[in-house]
Amino acid sequence: MPRVLRLVFCGLALWTVASSAQDRLSVDGDLDLRWVHASSETSYLNGGLGDLRFDSDHEGLRLGRAFLAPTLRITDIVTLHAVVDDYGDHDRNPVDMSEFYLDVRPFPTNAVRWRMRVGAFFMPVSLENRGIGWTDVYSITPSALNTWLGEEFRTIGAEVEARWLGASSGYLGDVALIAGAYGWNDQAGALLAERGFALTDRPSTLFGGLGVPPIDFYHEIDRKPGFYAGLSWRHHDRLELRALRYDNRGDPDATNTADLYAWQTRFTSLGARLEPQAHWTFIAQYLDGDTASNQDSTGYDPFYMTFHAAFALASFEWAHERFTARYDDFHTHQLSGYYDGPPSNDDGHSWTFAWSHECGDHWQFVAEWIRLNSSFPPRLELGEPAAEVESQLQVAVRYRIHMGW
Amino acid sequence: MSRTAKTACCTLLLLVGSICARAADLSVMVLNRDGSGVGEVVVTTMPAAAGTATPAAPKRAIMDQRNLAFTPRVLVVAEGTSVEFPNSDSVSHQVYSFSPAKRFQLPLYKGETHPPVIFDRAGLVVLGCNIHDAMVGYIYVTDAPYFGTTDAAGGLQFKGLPAGDYQITIWSPFITDAAASLKRTVHVDAGEGAALRVQLGLPLRARPEPQPRRRDWEY
Repeated sequence: MPRVLRLVFCGLALWTVASSAQDRLSVDGDLDLRWVHASSETSYLNGGLGDLRFDSDHEGLRLGRAFLAPTLRITDIVTLHAVVDDYGDHDRNPVDMSEFYLDVRPFPTNAVRWRMRVGAFFMPVSLENRGIGWTDVYSITPSALNTWLGEEFRTIGAEVEARWLGASSGYLGDVALIAGAYGWNDQAGALLAERGFALTDRPSTLFGGLGVPPIDFYHEIDRKPGFYAGLSWRHHDRLELRALRYDNRGDPDATNTADLYAWQTRFTSLGARLEPQAHWTFIAQYLDGDTASNQDSTGYDPFYMTFHAAFALASFEWAHERFTARYDDFHTHQLSGYYDGPPSNDDGHSWTFAWSHECGDHWQFVAEWIRLNSSFPPRLELGEPAAEVESQLQVAVRYRIHMGW
Repeated sequence: MSRTAKTACCTLLLLVGSICARAADLSVMVLNRDGSGVGEVVVTTMPAAAGTATPAAPKRAIMDQRNLAFTPRVLVVAEGTSVEFPNSDSVSHQVYSFSPAKRFQLPLYKGETHPPVIFDRAGLVVLGCNIHDAMVGYIYVTDAPYFGTTDAAGGLQFKGLPAGDYQITIWSPFITDAAASLKRTVHVDAGEGAALRVQLGLPLRARPEPQPRRRDWEY
């Protein structure tokens, strides 16, 4: 990101912390420590092409994540939100930010409530990551689909939402239309082409990078804004449906001074979350799209790849316990731009099982096991078989805080 | 005791006795199609003859915010009632209504005093929270002298009603029967009172139980 934006973000962050008035500033936070046992090839986060966060050389006691999420009320209708993270890995910034935005929400004077967000934030797609700091409340690791959205996408721009509030008309639910315009998302697609889908709880941060050497994502290369438009429908607080069309309108021929090419990435996502009664939750999400770039294509056709991913999740919550099972299915298919190596065709599926236990207001224990089968021919270049079966067991102890001034 | 005083005492006793004899109870029961009781139903009772009852005196009521829900979810008050909106949660709320019967906006922050809101016009006021869209509450403002909400078993007792005919109105955000089909006229007998059973013809709307998720964010 440009230096001027960093300065603006840092200045506002300092102001957030420095400001204080009655019930004006609240801070939520988590400290998440893990014990990990992994049976998998080297994770892409450690320079390999493994699809899980940890691997056999990086297990044992680990920092899952530490984050603080301050919220500052500037006026009744304007609040400032930030999420400050530390993942304890190879990120070039030990402390970074994953979100920073102003939320403008006028009081409704009729059945339509307008809302605007300006800054850097996650777009409204994931139905799993509903916790503060974009945490997955059903398991430790989100699905392949939402892992990827957390890695390569952040709205750095503005989003407008018009929500019809049904209660005033006797309908227990609401319908929202959402539109976003953003920049600095021209690298979206590069990681998917290089690695395929993965399952990790390591989303990107705004100023850092992922992997070895680190890939950082938030560059404006072609000076063209991207857009998305979506629909959200909440019915009786029991069913939520979401649809979103994303197009970063990247120019595959554009390049910047660092020789980074823009990626043109488009997708459609559909999702449903059903909570038929207090104990059960069912979620299904589907994503389908394509990405293209002329990066490294000298003498070859431009790189072009299609992808789709889906998952189904069932979760049962009883008192302080929650049990979750999820099945993931994901594919990428490279159609042109073969270079010299094998194509980026990723075919995989995985099972995730998680159990979490709430212990008072502050403590949470989570155990999660993932088994992932995938075939990705570029692994052959690392001297590894294309098809791998990876598994990972994690036990997380989380301490959570909420403070207000 | 003088004759005049004796006469006055007798007249007073007769009057009190007459009032006591004329006062009776009305019990109302609202039942679902399967015969089970329906709670949180507003019942208002209006004398059929004009000017036969003293309207309920304006008073105070409380609509709390607790576990990211309005408590009670359905509140019925007389016209002119002053309603306090305390905040029992550890997070802020911003209560609003754009219902014609009462438009208001009331941010509820910790450590600040919040003036009560006076509901001076009969009608339904739908409450929302501008921070937590899932929070919905209802204040039913009535000009009827007797009113209340049914308990979990669907029952409600009006005690000491003057004998006579009454128009009964039943309302709930979860009832789908047409409002006109739920109006009743009941004769409250001086000695025996009256009992009214209202059985709904249509299924209730889903009544989602509040699921407080304080650490949820709007992603």
